[in-house]
Amino acid sequence: MEVLHNLAFGFEHALTIPNLLYCALGCTVGTLIGLLPGLGPLSTISLLLPLTYSIPTTGALIMLAGIYYGAQYGDSVSAITMKIPHASSIVACIDGYQMTLKGKTGLALFTAGFSSFIGGTVAIVVLSTMAPALGEVGFLFGPADYCALMLLGFFCVSFVSSGSLLNGLAMAMVGILLGMVGTDVNSGVARYTMGLPFLQDGIGIISIALGCFGIAEVVKNLDNKNVLTPFNGKIKLMPTWPEFKRIIPSALRGSVIGSVLGILPGGGPTIAQFAAYAADKKFSKYKHEIGTGCIEGVAGQAAADEAAARTSFIPLMAIGIPENAVMALMMAAFIVKGIQPGPNMIASHPELFWGLVASMWVGNCFLLVLNVPLVRLWLSVFKVPYTVLFPGILFFCCVGTFSINNSLDDIYTTAVFGLVGYLFLRLDMEPAPLMLGFILGPMLEENFRRAMLLSRGSFSPFVTRPIAGTLLGVIAIVVLWQLFVFFRNLRKSQPPVLVTEEGVAAG
Amino acid sequence: MGLNNRNFMRGLVLMAIALLFGTLASRYAIGALHRSGPGLFPLMVSGFLFVIGLIITVRSRFVEPVLMSYNVKNIALVLLSLVGFAVLSEYVNMILGIVFLVFCSTFAGTSYSVVRNIKISLGLIAIAFAFKNFLGLSLPLY
Repeated sequence: MEVLHNLAFGFEHALTIPNLLYCALGCTVGTLIGLLPGLGPLSTISLLLPLTYSIPTTGALIMLAGIYYGAQYGDSVSAITMKIPHASSIVACIDGYQMTLKGKTGLALFTAGFSSFIGGTVAIVVLSTMAPALGEVGFLFGPADYCALMLLGFFCVSFVSSGSLLNGLAMAMVGILLGMVGTDVNSGVARYTMGLPFLQDGIGIISIALGCFGIAEVVKNLDNKNVLTPFNGKIKLMPTWPEFKRIIPSALRGSVIGSVLGILPGGGPTIAQFAAYAADKKFSKYKHEIGTGCIEGVAGQAAADEAAARTSFIPLMAIGIPENAVMALMMAAFIVKGIQPGPNMIASHPELFWGLVASMWVGNCFLLVLNVPLVRLWLSVFKVPYTVLFPGILFFCCVGTFSINNSLDDIYTTAVFGLVGYLFLRLDMEPAPLMLGFILGPMLEENFRRAMLLSRGSFSPFVTRPIAGTLLGVIAIVVLWQLFVFFRNLRKSQPPVLVTEEGVAAG
Repeated sequence: MGLNNRNFMRGLVLMAIALLFGTLASRYAIGALHRSGPGLFPLMVSGFLFVIGLIITVRSRFVEPVLMSYNVKNIALVLLSLVGFAVLSEYVNMILGIVFLVFCSTFAGTSYSVVRNIKISLGLIAIAFAFKNFLGLSLPLY
């Protein structure tokens, strides 16, 4: 009952006319800027942060939160329509873009928007009921537990990638190695920088994402002599009842996964969407369709993404620790406004905490109302011949990657990863596990080195600690299962037949 | 057959990446497990990647071969337009970079039209000005 009372108190603040306007403005501007390829939540918030300086504290933070969610949704639009993702929409590229190729862009965008609404709603319930208690969960994890959690993430890539476990793992490892480029935080040694100063801070995730997904996809479309953009069909927006019934379980599953992973430091929306996608590939009733433009492949990850985006406020507001760069920026906004996030924040600024929580749901409704009619507008903008569109896509990729550090060197990096992405595409190596490896790699290394240091070089914490031991046990089961499937398929396999990318060519 | 077989090539590429990163990692201090140097972790990951690449290469002999196809012209044109855009933006200005990007990349399209390219360039230059003036992006437009 106390939660309901607190939420009612929060809605009193969130539903004032000025705060409603700030929320609507934040969601709209965030969506519009998030639509531009390369400009994700982080760059959108950093670009728009100055706008909030002159706004009252609660209104400013409500507006920033709206910008954050809006940018996240905007990201998924460019991922679904053009296969140009940002970190928070990498998984949307897989089934979302496949749905676009099938002429179901409207349905994919509606599913993403509706699932985000469900994800956001579930996360707000989690946030409002368990924020103070859940903030402590992160403290239960030691370095060995984090390593095991990340290793489990890599093994989950076998479900994310359409190929085998080995292909997914290999790409994750390539991602880990790319994540090693830059200055080693422990020793200060510059690794794999080839003497180039701009690589000292490492390779930007945007350069890799735009190169491997965006540029590679443009060249693939050119190779296929595409005259029209893929979404030139009828715009079907609303799902049928059977489709609706398929969206709900995936969205709920994704919401729970996203809510949990959003709380863990180092987790957040990017990892949550991979985990939700992997769960759908394993547990969905339509798991065999996932990867081919399946509605579950959009629903689960979109809900997880949105849920994690909201619950990632928990470590910030309950313990005062930002778990990712976006939250660090939000923390900066709190501090600029004279608020110190931490255990005392809820008690000392209840109107701010509960107002922000309530505004998240209000923002959710705005996004749903805003984006359903806007889907038609987005699609009409993109309904131009591909010959006209693709130079624009290349330009947006360049501006997006440039805007992160205001450095033209990043465009060279994007070009290199365009070539790498094209090579991977032709070799049928999926870039999604590579992105996961790239994101988790530095964290894995840091926690591995810390765990080894604490145990004086012994691997025992990996099996003696309950969390790490359980997670590694799950990995062992996954590996054994994959080996079983491989040998079973090998026994059933026929003599080799020559196959082209389009089908069987010769015997 | 080997170099046209996508599965076989995939294994080779993975082994090449592992060798590249592994060789460079061995030049950094390795240290010991309890006090690891900057080279230890990349060396371990490279080792695992090399083994996976080897398994994929060997496995390619037992599964159906798949022909690999690629088009050098289009990827070369797109990369040239991106690099040209960056170079011109750095040494002249981004307006010229945009014009080059459009005129060079559209050679990879299905048809080529100078008038259409001028229109696209003007549209993108207008968008770039909007980015600079309304979003505050510091684009080197002039």
